[in-house]
Amino acid sequence: MPGLPLLLAQAFNGLALGSLLALSASGLTITLGTLGVLNFAHGALFMLGAYAVFVVLGHTDSLLLAVVLGGGFMILVGLVFERVVIRLYYDRPAEDQILVTFGLGILIVEGVRFIFGGLSQRVPLPSWGQGIVSLGFMIYPKYRLEVIGIVAIALFALYVVLYRTRIGLVVRAGIEDTMMVNMLGINVRRTFMLVFAMGVLAAGFAGMVYAPLVSVDPDMGGPFLAESFVVVVIGGLGSFPGAVAGGLIAGEIISLTSAFNPDYSYVMLYAVMALLLVVQPRGLFGPEGRA
Amino acid sequence: MNLLEVDRVNSYYGDSHILFDVSLAIAEGEVVALLGRNGAGKTTTLKTIMGVLRAQSGSIRLAGRPIEALRPFEIARLGVQLVPEERRIFGGLTVAENLELAALTAQKPLSIDRIFATFPRLAERHSSRGRNLSGGEQQMLAIARALIRDAEIILLDEPFEGLAPLVVRDLVEVAAKLAAEGRTILIVEQNVTAALDLAQRVYVLNNGHIVFEGTTQALLGKPAIMKYHLGV
Amino acid sequence: MIPKHGDRSAAFLPEAALIAALVAGFFVLPFIGGSADLFGRILIWGLFGLGFDLLFGYTGLLSFGQAAFYGTGGYVSAWLLTTHAIGSVWLALAFGTLAAGVWGVLIGWLALRRVGIYFAMITLAFGQISFFLENSPLAAWTGGENGLPGVPVPRIGFGAGSFAITSGWRMDTLVAAFFLVGFALARRIVHSPFGAVLRAIKDNADRTAALGHAVGRYKLAVFVIAALYAGLAGGLLGVFQSYMPPEAFSLDTSGQLVAQTVIGGVGTLVGPLLGGAVWLYLEQNLQRIPGVGGLWKFLLGLIFVLLITLFRRGIAGSLRAFWRRTRIGRPDSLAGRGPATLESTLPSLPPHPPLPSLPLAAPAVRSAGAPALEARGLSKNFGGIRAVQNVSLTVERGTVQAVIGPNGAGKTTLFKMLHGEVTPSAGDVLFFGQRITGLGVTGACQAGIGKSYQVNQLFSTLTVRENVRVAALARSLGAFRPALFGAATAIPKVERQVEAVLATVGLEGRADLLPGTLAYGEKRRLEIGLSLAAGPHVLLLDEPLAGMSPEERVATKRLIARLGEQSTLVIVEHDMDAVFELAQRISVLANGVLLAQGTPADIQNDPAVQEAYLGGLHAHEPVGG
Repeated sequence: MPGLPLLLAQAFNGLALGSLLALSASGLTITLGTLGVLNFAHGALFMLGAYAVFVVLGHTDSLLLAVVLGGGFMILVGLVFERVVIRLYYDRPAEDQILVTFGLGILIVEGVRFIFGGLSQRVPLPSWGQGIVSLGFMIYPKYRLEVIGIVAIALFALYVVLYRTRIGLVVRAGIEDTMMVNMLGINVRRTFMLVFAMGVLAAGFAGMVYAPLVSVDPDMGGPFLAESFVVVVIGGLGSFPGAVAGGLIAGEIISLTSAFNPDYSYVMLYAVMALLLVVQPRGLFGPEGRA
Repeated sequence: MNLLEVDRVNSYYGDSHILFDVSLAIAEGEVVALLGRNGAGKTTTLKTIMGVLRAQSGSIRLAGRPIEALRPFEIARLGVQLVPEERRIFGGLTVAENLELAALTAQKPLSIDRIFATFPRLAERHSSRGRNLSGGEQQMLAIARALIRDAEIILLDEPFEGLAPLVVRDLVEVAAKLAAEGRTILIVEQNVTAALDLAQRVYVLNNGHIVFEGTTQALLGKPAIMKYHLGV
Repeated sequence: MIPKHGDRSAAFLPEAALIAALVAGFFVLPFIGGSADLFGRILIWGLFGLGFDLLFGYTGLLSFGQAAFYGTGGYVSAWLLTTHAIGSVWLALAFGTLAAGVWGVLIGWLALRRVGIYFAMITLAFGQISFFLENSPLAAWTGGENGLPGVPVPRIGFGAGSFAITSGWRMDTLVAAFFLVGFALARRIVHSPFGAVLRAIKDNADRTAALGHAVGRYKLAVFVIAALYAGLAGGLLGVFQSYMPPEAFSLDTSGQLVAQTVIGGVGTLVGPLLGGAVWLYLEQNLQRIPGVGGLWKFLLGLIFVLLITLFRRGIAGSLRAFWRRTRIGRPDSLAGRGPATLESTLPSLPPHPPLPSLPLAAPAVRSAGAPALEARGLSKNFGGIRAVQNVSLTVERGTVQAVIGPNGAGKTTLFKMLHGEVTPSAGDVLFFGQRITGLGVTGACQAGIGKSYQVNQLFSTLTVRENVRVAALARSLGAFRPALFGAATAIPKVERQVEAVLATVGLEGRADLLPGTLAYGEKRRLEIGLSLAAGPHVLLLDEPLAGMSPEERVATKRLIARLGEQSTLVIVEHDMDAVFELAQRISVLANGVLLAQGTPADIQNDPAVQEAYLGGLHAHEPVGG
């Protein structure tokens, strides 16, 4: 039975990991709900964000600058992808969309591998993230705590966009009934580009924040993709609250299980998903009926 | 010149031929009813006008301007507003948000106070989510969405369907008020009595063909036609 | 690649062609930068892909987790051999394959609870779960990151005289043999009745279920078959390279399988083999080129993306489409394809020749006196809306009954309850006295109720004949029978049923066309034909005349009249002329409640019914003039 300090530390780790998953899954689920596209390149885009930060930090010390530039880059990638490829697929069956985004994912991963090589690289912790912090009842790495804060802000920003802006209104309505939004005079297709870019930015941003915690390598996106899918299944397709709740739950499952037995931490996550599928297939906040 | 002119339109659903050379015209400020049993093509007519379905042949003109090739959002911006049969209000959005969304691309949207004055019930429920509204309230919201856009012409698809008599009465009052304001309305209904109360002119559709065109009085004076095409 | 119906001598043509191609490939390969090792690997991927193509190409189920079974098969057989629990490689392979099948049953049961996108996500997740299981918790057995080295080679024969199959051409021949057998098996599955149902499921799963096939069980069956193929391939991999790698479980492996199949051609069975050849060949040879070596996978990814975007069918698929077009000619060049005239296709008017009786019908009903169909107090609530309230009606055997009512009356919901599509909130549906409430559409169809849909639900990728055959097969096979062998076209009763139905609806002349080329009225008749071919005792027709031109209406009314002479029909219609012509009894629904029932004359003179249609609800004060 692991001791309380370990459990507490893992609980915080779970928050850090969970909030990243929540952010990433939010992007995925919004894209899925609005555009109906399941982005199989999501993991690759997460990795791309991490590498964007790695590149910028090779020239400057400011993580902030790296994130801003990286964010701009991710938005650009999202806009280009939507305009050039994804747009062709809105009227095609779901399987085709999965296949083409899967293919795009391969292109991204292999492109990065060609440019940077396959060995993992370290991304340095920012100066304000180094060291540890005393929380009274325990000490904890500073950056991990900051990650929770940063992602919370990002999620809050996403929430504000979704629930307090016009485009968010259009997105939320569009997830429910795209044709009706159309009939109310709004060019929904134009919105799709922005929504897709939002999803890409969410994935990339998660990667950027995550990068200093681990070493980056071209294949880091694969497991992340699978975990994001699990979060969406748990939270429910197309649901932003579901993605957040699901992400936090997933993060805690992984981290807390690892306090007991690290070998089973990821297996436990998938077991929970399996259980949910039997009991409540639509997830916590998902729509009725089979998708 | 008529505000809306539909000229020999043929419309298909997949490759099922639903509308056969359908023509109708609506002048500004008129309330026109389109009647017929279900399956006759009434909803198809409205969807074709709104651009949701593409007419295979024929033309549709709004104030002289051809709109048959435009997309729904373009037609909406020109002032045509369809209030669909299933209402299709956004369940996750509040009443206020539904209205806000509708007003986004309107050139001169009505003020929200004006809307709430016409629909006091919606004022009371302005922060309720769409899915928590009753059937009648949802229908009011659907009509309010068209109203806030200050639509040139409102297409009402079976607004009274599935609602309790008292609710229908309230809605008829609302519709009559709108008509009295001089708005142009094309109403599709199976509830013949309610529709005829509101409309000045009537078209009757049967199996995709227009089989009667005339004033409400004229139709009421021909019970045989009413029985044959609308009744049993 | 599909032998013509009845052409027995060509039955083994594809296999022969394949053998020839493989032999040629084996000899040519070393000269173009290949090797015996490469050859063998391609074949293993091809075998892996046979099962996947059955799953995705023929049933439409896109799985991103096939590595779960590949790895399971490989590791179970490798473990058995390296721990000397089993001496015979053949036996170990069998166990490995079986283990993969068991894992397939479990994962399939969970994953198939969803469809489409969800299904793909879940299979990916289960592939990962397998990967993680191999990596950590089970590392003691699997070797974790290191895999299992030292897998022995198989031997033919016993004891000292046995003959080892070492790597090189011997191993290649072994793998090729497995592939050939696997291919022959897969091809037979495709042409079997089981395969016909799979193709129907891919085209329109809901209609397949409504025609009496237990779609869920078929899906699970093909999922397990794919798992078995994967397991065998995995086991062979371990034997082939004398080592079982952990990558066998990876997401990359599942993804590579998908990519190879798409490149080679989905739904061709040889697609995965071709795609594997392209992939592995480029992988091996591009890497040797300095400068671009590292980009080999990028290039493959690019080919993949371009292929999906531009040439959906992949290499083999495009070849097959080209070959078919040059052999058969374009559809509109078919002889006899004049403008569809209904008079020429339906048997002529009086005297009515009797409709051909159907060789296959639902099981005979026992209670002679009970009405054919009875609704007792049926109610259905959706949330707060009471769509149908306490409706009771009876349909006597051999009669034609119509259900009419204004929009929103609940007719559609009532029909769905009668047919099993919707479970009633209260009340029962009785079929010849037997309670069938809650059986679902498949159960209802098997019991003997068929429904033809208002909006055509046809199988657009199957010919007219194949469409009807799917329905007839449900009657012949029952809800589920894994009839993997024997041709789908070779069941005499089924073929006679198909011919009879085609004659009844007047589509014999169009039997080998795709529904897309039929006129609208013909499609509606095919729709009726589908529901008829399942041999129902009671046929529900949902707006059979919907969207028809006046001429088509006349012909279809005739068809319905003749059907009514033989079976029990319940019709929902809005064409009042047709209703009064055809129906002996009419039930009127309004606002979810049964308003009136009786003969056409009764209904026509019923003031309440008139009111329902003309007045809607109770009168309210007229507003204005």
